Amino acid sequence: MACVNGDGKLTQSAKNILEAVDESPKSPADLSKELAIPLFKIRSSMRDMVSMGLVQETEGAYQLAPGGRKMLEKSN
Amino acid sequence: MENTNHEEKVVSLPRIGDTAPDFEAETTHGTLQLEDFKGSWVVLFSHPADFTPVCTTEFIAFQEIADDLRALNTELLGLSVDSVHSHIAWVRNVKEKMGVELTFPIIADLNKDVAKKYGMIMPGESTTETSRAVFVIDDKQIVRAVIYYPLSTGRNMPEILRLIKGLQTTDEHGVATPANWKPGEKVIIPPPKTQEEAEERANDDSVECTDWYFCKKQL
Repeated sequence: MACVNGDGKLTQSAKNILEAVDESPKSPADLSKELAIPLFKIRSSMRDMVSMGLVQETEGAYQLAPGGRKMLEKSN
Repeated sequence: MENTNHEEKVVSLPRIGDTAPDFEAETTHGTLQLEDFKGSWVVLFSHPADFTPVCTTEFIAFQEIADDLRALNTELLGLSVDSVHSHIAWVRNVKEKMGVELTFPIIADLNKDVAKKYGMIMPGESTTETSRAVFVIDDKQIVRAVIYYPLSTGRNMPEILRLIKGLQTTDEHGVATPANWKPGEKVIIPPPKTQEEAEERANDDSVECTDWYFCKKQL
């Protein structure tokens, strides 16, 4: 799990991404611009995060899922 | 009928104009698929092994052109037949000993899946290491250029940059680039295809023609 540390908490970049999709659904291109992270990394992270239940995808846009909110609270 | 030939299947390397073979691979930046790079150009390059001197000089040199490549909408993606832990240790070592932070992902191709798809292993040279291959893949995931160097010789980064600038200039302006061309220099106009075009070209004052088939212009 690329976005979780050994102590079960989110990595800083995962936290940044989850906080960014908490406000409203965003496309990978929007996230790449907002967070200044290359698009390929955002696409890869989104794939991981969807499989872990941290975010959910609707029509190409990603939004925080209940599992992601729980992880964010645990990591703060 | 069952194939009883146990020799490894020989896979041809992707050629210029082919769709780049897709893959999913473990990297120092997590699991990446080639598809993740759609919309960007990619320099997919292999090196023989981590913690070797020529490769270390190359990785530092690739990092030095990373910003120039990014400005050309181009990402770097390294590869060798080493584990992700070896890659991480080497990246940390390069930062500690040479003061250079390698920011691009490196594929850990332990089972040689990607290396085989891209024909990166030259069995006559080594069966356990990847050669110094470079695949330039465009934003539509088409192979646009292929370069191979042997284990002993480090690659030339200005040439890789020049190559990508040349390819992108060709795409943008429908022109070709002459030997030793550098951005800002005159480009070559494709030769006329008909006699009428040849006559018109010969009388066109906006281009610089040595002969009807050999014309250049400044972009």
